This record gives sequence, C-alpha cells and structure tokens, in this order.
Amino acid sequence: MGPLYKFGWFDFAYSLQMAGLIGFLFGFVLERAGFGDPKKLTAIFYLRDFAVLKVMFTAIVVCAVGLLYFSLFGWIDLGRVYLLPTYLWPQMIGGFILGIGFVMGGYCPTTSVVATVSGKLDGMIFIVGMMIGSVIFAEIFPLLKGFYGSGDMGAVRLTDILKVNSGIVALLICLMAVGAYWLVEKVEGKFGDKDSLPKSSPRLKGLGAATLIALGLVLAIANPDKGAAKAPSSAPASVQEPAHTGFKILEDEGC
Amino acid sequence: MNDRYTNPYVIGALLGLVLLFSFYTMGRGVGSSSSFTRIATAGVELVAPHHAKTNPYFSKYLQNERSPLMAWLVFLTLGAALGGLFSAFIARRIRGEVARGPSIGVTVRLWLALGGGILSGFAARLARGCTSGQALTGASELAFGSWIFMFCIFAGAYATAYFFRKEWL
Repeated sequence: MGPLYKFGWFDFAYSLQMAGLIGFLFGFVLERAGFGDPKKLTAIFYLRDFAVLKVMFTAIVVCAVGLLYFSLFGWIDLGRVYLLPTYLWPQMIGGFILGIGFVMGGYCPTTSVVATVSGKLDGMIFIVGMMIGSVIFAEIFPLLKGFYGSGDMGAVRLTDILKVNSGIVALLICLMAVGAYWLVEKVEGKFGDKDSLPKSSPRLKGLGAATLIALGLVLAIANPDKGAAKAPSSAPASVQEPAHTGFKILEDEGC
Repeated sequence: MNDRYTNPYVIGALLGLVLLFSFYTMGRGVGSSSSFTRIATAGVELVAPHHAKTNPYFSKYLQNERSPLMAWLVFLTLGAALGGLFSAFIARRIRGEVARGPSIGVTVRLWLALGGGILSGFAARLARGCTSGQALTGASELAFGSWIFMFCIFAGAYATAYFFRKEWL
C-alpha cells in the first residue's frame, strides 16, 4: 500500500535517488511539450496557443482521478500524503505576482530549468533572478511574517468548501477540464497560427473527453471517501495510527 | 520545429502519471522553486553563516545537520535538468540563444528575464510553492488554496500580458 516511503519501503538516501528519477521524467515531458521555449509558454497569454493550460489541466485531472481510484482500490492511504495547507491571502497575492513574473520573464520556475539546459541564456538569468528573489523574501521576512501566515485555513480541500465528496469533485473537475479544452480550442482556432497548433482527429478527442467524464462519473457514484474510511488498517512498519478519512497534513517539508 | 513537440493532451496525461507515481512512491508531489531558495541559502550561509542562522526564514532550511542542499526537491530539480537535457538532445533542440520575440533586443530581454525571475522567486516563497509545487501538486490533491493560487497565476499574467506584448509578439 502506498505511499511506499511512508510505509518504510526505502530510506532517505534512496528517496533522493527516487527524486532524481521523478525529476528526470518531469523534465523530459516538459521539454517534450515545448516548455523550454518562452514564446511557446507565453503564447497562452496572447490567446495563440493554450498548450500550457491543456498540459496543466490534463495532468491535474489524470493525477486527481488516479489518486482517488488508487484510494478506492486500497492501493494508497491518502491520510499519509502530504497535503498542502491553505493560506488564502499569501497564496492569492503570491499567485498574482508569479503570474506577472511568468509573462515578464517568460518562464515559471521548473520550465526555466528546462530552458537553461537546452541552451537559453535568458533561462539561466531567470534562475539567477529567482535566487535573488528568494534572498529578498528572506531578508524582509520579519516584515512579511504576519501576512505570510494570514488566511490560514489549514488542510482544507475543495470537498470541504463545496461540501460534497471527492468523487463529485472529481466529476466536476473532469467536466470543467473538458469544457475548458473546448473553449480554448475555439479561441486559439481564432487567434492562433493554424500551422503550429497540434493536429488531432475530432473523433479521438471526443473519445478522450467521454473517457474522462466516464471516469469521473464512476468516482462520483462510488464515493472514494467512503471506501477510504472503511479501508482495513493493514499498516506495516509504522506505529502511527493511519488516518482513513482522507488527506491530512503530516510532518513534512513543503515546497 | 513545432511538429516535433508532442501533443499537449498526451504530455498532460504523461505528466499526470509522473505526478501519480510521485504520490504513490513518496507521498508527495513535485516542485522546484525551493531548490533555488536552498541554493541561495547555502550561498548566504557560506558568505555570512551567522546571518543565515539568525534570519528567521533562512534558518528554516538550516535546521538539520545536513547541508540545505541535501533535500528531496534539490535532487528532483537536478533530475529535471537531466531529463530536459536528454529530451532536448534527442530532439536536437539544444542551441545557445536568447529566446525572445522579433521586436525586442537581447539586453532588454535579459533584464526582463532577471526581473521576472526575481518576482517569481519572491512570489513562490510567499505562496509556499510555484506552478509545480503548489498548483500542479496541490490541485491534484484538491487542496483549496492551490486551486485559488493557480487561477491567480492566470489572473496576474493576463492582467499584465499587454505590457509585455513587445517582448513576445
């Protein structure tokens, strides 16, 4: 049962090697998508190419749905997954500033790494900038401390906000993703360069959309939260009482 | 050159599986921004060890006995660099250049890259993560703040895109 690391399958040194492997795959797919090129990345903000949104939404939906199926099958104990806590105001303002940094610098943090290794000097300068930005943050941290901890809502999920189970939320985000794909393809069809946009058959896209919605629908009916609550407590190599009610914050390092 | 890029939906699905693999094995998602903070922290510690230890934010990364660089996300970022290099190499996309739109000079572009980097580095610390560590990872867990964060990234970028149009178009 996963997460393997939390059940003592490997130690810290091995986890760093695992990080290298996961990072390798991460960097590989980002470069493959063309995300080492800031013109490709920022094209979304000029309505010409929505690859960034398509990749992000698809990754989120696949992973969110996958996690809930894993939980449903009893393959993963979501109570042991590190859940990012919500600090509403710093996350809103931070997101807004990151967005400005994105369109100004042309990258987000990970894509600047991919750009740098493919030879882009501006990517390397962006990385230098991020380090300077971190130092500025740390130096004025005493002034920001109050704001940094404001809007503390703890480990709150969309399920708590919408007051429905994870399965219903999964179905909603599947529907939202399909709706967003449809919308952005209309927009980029109007503003984008037809030759550089990806070509794919409408039938394949319809099939993909139907599969997503079907996967969400099954989750909405099966209610993975109920399954998680009833899961057998077969927790090896740990004295800690596992939380079977879904996600919770564990002692871990954030990002 | 563009047709060598893989279809974004296929990439998205693969990225989702990588993320799922990370959750299944490690119980956490991906990220990268804090590795640059860690490198900066290591630099500050080298130059001014006392200052680094007494600063309330740097000291967060210096609590363990080991170096601030011996961290999960630092190795993940190194891996991402290697993975990106491998992909760019097999697709023959490695080329020394300053990527920019046709109507902007190299110097201006580099200054803007620096400015964007500073804003991003600062913002990622304020929001406790970046596009991958906060938006991708948190949104997959259905974390409320991460969804808000993600929409605010788009809001910030769309709100200011007009002022940087000469940089890209």
